[in-house]
Amino acid sequence: MSYDWLAGPRGVAAIRPSGPRLRTRPAPAGTRLAWLYLVSRRVPAAAAVIAGCAAGLRIALIAHWDTYGALQLPLVFETLAAAAVTACSASPFGEPERVAVRRLPWLRLATALALTAVAAGALATAGAGAQLSGGTLDVLRNVLGIVGLGLLCAAGVGASLAWAGPTTYLIVGVYALYTQWHGPALTTPWVWPARPPHDVGAALCAGLVFVTGTVVVTVRGARDRSGDRD
Amino acid sequence: MIAPPGLRAWQPSGSAGRWFVPAAARLMRLELRHNAMPCLLPLAIALFGVLTYRKTLAMPPLWYVRVDDTQSGLVLDFATSVAGAAAWMGSREARRRVTDLLETVARPRFTRLLASWAATSCWAVAGCVLCLAAVYWATSLRASWGGPLWWPAAVVVASMPAFAALGFGAGVLVPSRFTAPVVTIATFFVVALSTELIVGSQSYWQVSPVVSAAWDVGADPGVATFYPYLPDLSIAQLMFLAGLTVAVVAAATGLPRVSGSRRLRVAAAVASTAGLLTAGTAVDLAGTGTLNAHGMIVIPALHDAADDRPLQFTPVCSRTAIPVCLNPAYAVYLPAAASALGPVLSEIAGLPGAPVRVIQSGTTYQQGPANEVLISLAGPVVSGRPPVYRLLLPDQLGGLQLSPGQLTGVLRAGTDPSVIASVVGDGPGASAAQRAVAAALLLAAREPYRALAAGTVSGVLAPGTPVRQSVPSRGRRVAGAGQGLIPAPVFAAALRFTALPASARHAWLVRNLAALRAGRITLARLP
Repeated sequence: MSYDWLAGPRGVAAIRPSGPRLRTRPAPAGTRLAWLYLVSRRVPAAAAVIAGCAAGLRIALIAHWDTYGALQLPLVFETLAAAAVTACSASPFGEPERVAVRRLPWLRLATALALTAVAAGALATAGAGAQLSGGTLDVLRNVLGIVGLGLLCAAGVGASLAWAGPTTYLIVGVYALYTQWHGPALTTPWVWPARPPHDVGAALCAGLVFVTGTVVVTVRGARDRSGDRD
Repeated sequence: MIAPPGLRAWQPSGSAGRWFVPAAARLMRLELRHNAMPCLLPLAIALFGVLTYRKTLAMPPLWYVRVDDTQSGLVLDFATSVAGAAAWMGSREARRRVTDLLETVARPRFTRLLASWAATSCWAVAGCVLCLAAVYWATSLRASWGGPLWWPAAVVVASMPAFAALGFGAGVLVPSRFTAPVVTIATFFVVALSTELIVGSQSYWQVSPVVSAAWDVGADPGVATFYPYLPDLSIAQLMFLAGLTVAVVAAATGLPRVSGSRRLRVAAAVASTAGLLTAGTAVDLAGTGTLNAHGMIVIPALHDAADDRPLQFTPVCSRTAIPVCLNPAYAVYLPAAASALGPVLSEIAGLPGAPVRVIQSGTTYQQGPANEVLISLAGPVVSGRPPVYRLLLPDQLGGLQLSPGQLTGVLRAGTDPSVIASVVGDGPGASAAQRAVAAALLLAAREPYRALAAGTVSGVLAPGTPVRQSVPSRGRRVAGAGQGLIPAPVFAAALRFTALPASARHAWLVRNLAALRAGRITLARLP
């Protein structure tokens, strides 16, 4: 298997500090470069945020909530996890990376899919055995949809402010849940958090948004904003 | 020497004849231009328009109801955007790797960061004021009485710099791409879900700016219409927001070693401590608040006893046989109330002991266990000499507001029987004749029989009786005609009495009402 699509310098191994004390065998260049890619996107930090979300959800589920809180609580953590996934679409390199790396879209796609899977899995695991409103299906649908929304925002306004999309949608979703008691209820499937877990229309809408967002970010990448390099 | 185009405009110059622009103003202008908040402002305003403005304008045109709802909604709509944008701005220097570079410029770090926070706050306040203006303008066009309440607006405006300060502090402390989303969600979590912790009226969490009134009462039309709006809770919230803002801004911008001179850091420490003390005092004050009889939170240390006096107003009255008079704030409901009560009032007008006027009365609020609030009519249903029937509109009982059409139906079902009962003496332990006459008068007024069968005919409310238990609520099914509570002989007598000409019926009642009320007339003596 060739890793030349990563277009890293051929002699990367040669510039590594080496000496008699360093006896471990260096990892393949492709693995190292993939790791560097993940680090440049702050994927480890995003994973930590997602883990924090799962832990927070688990702790929150121990407490007693009334109906409003019980319904709205998972959505808050799902949105934060989705925003963390979205934040990883920002590139600190901008144009030079687009020029230098030939198969960058595949890395973007793999990162988005893997982080989304991690987010959905972590939150579903956190809710296992507890009274998680909507259950695993709800978590999966909401995370997918909100990640898609965030990725669309990243492609549109830049990854730096892409969190605004999911967080705004969070308020809409919470309001829609509130209107289940205080009508007129928002029943459009585009506000999927307020729909039951088995609602096909809501699942389709969330899935469509996720697919669209993933495809757009895979093909075009997040919109670069010059100067932001965290 | 060739300068880039436009550079001259930025230079402070007096010799060239240009007016002098202070450096701080120029810095502020730069920050306003390069701020993230304008990008997010349309989003926040759209959120307000879709969620809050639409809902608020569907409410009755009462100042308290609309402003109360606007405070909660607007704070939630803007809080996340403001905190997020401020966090993004706070982390800007570190994110762009210019912290070291900027250490060399003439302006200290404190000034730079302060300008950045101030610019974010300015944009947020501007957007917020725009939204408030829209609600106040729309309400002023339709409100029939009262004036705008400014305290809730002040709380909303003051909460913007506070949220900006919290976000900004987090951004300065942890400059990362994850800071803004984490701060945004955390803000929403704290602001929206912290209200879950409010139990009863004595709660420290009432200091949250999203709490616009007694949490268990909410935007109740019965509040602040018969008694003045109490600013106690708003004052505590303003204290809290101001203290929090000063504490966080001073700590984030002035405390670090690189912020500026030693004197500046000491001043920042003092300001931060003072802010914390103010905020803590406000939280403590909010915890001493209690629900008063008029549905508002009273904080003893901030309370002005002058606010306990009832508001003076000239009621608006209908031209029915017995005038129906409402608080002018409810003028929009007068036609519906007159239409609902008019036929019944025509039946009893002129009878001895009949009310000379039906006048809307205020409600009294009593905190129950946990989050329960008991809302009832303040005082007896009939009072004075000549007697006045004191009316409570269903809207005053909390919950959803009714349209005029819905109000007519509820008044027919609940108030008409009560008005008649107050005249003929129907109620618990009433004689068969009293029940028959009450039923007959309702039938004569062409009220649906189901109103009679709903059971409300059976009693004048005892003083202090919780009205919620007595007036059919909108969610309650009204019994059908076949489920009548009146025995067949009583109903037959009622039909016989109804069949009399109106003048004969009225004349008989004039002669015999006193005896009927005393229970001395039997069913057989009814004509």
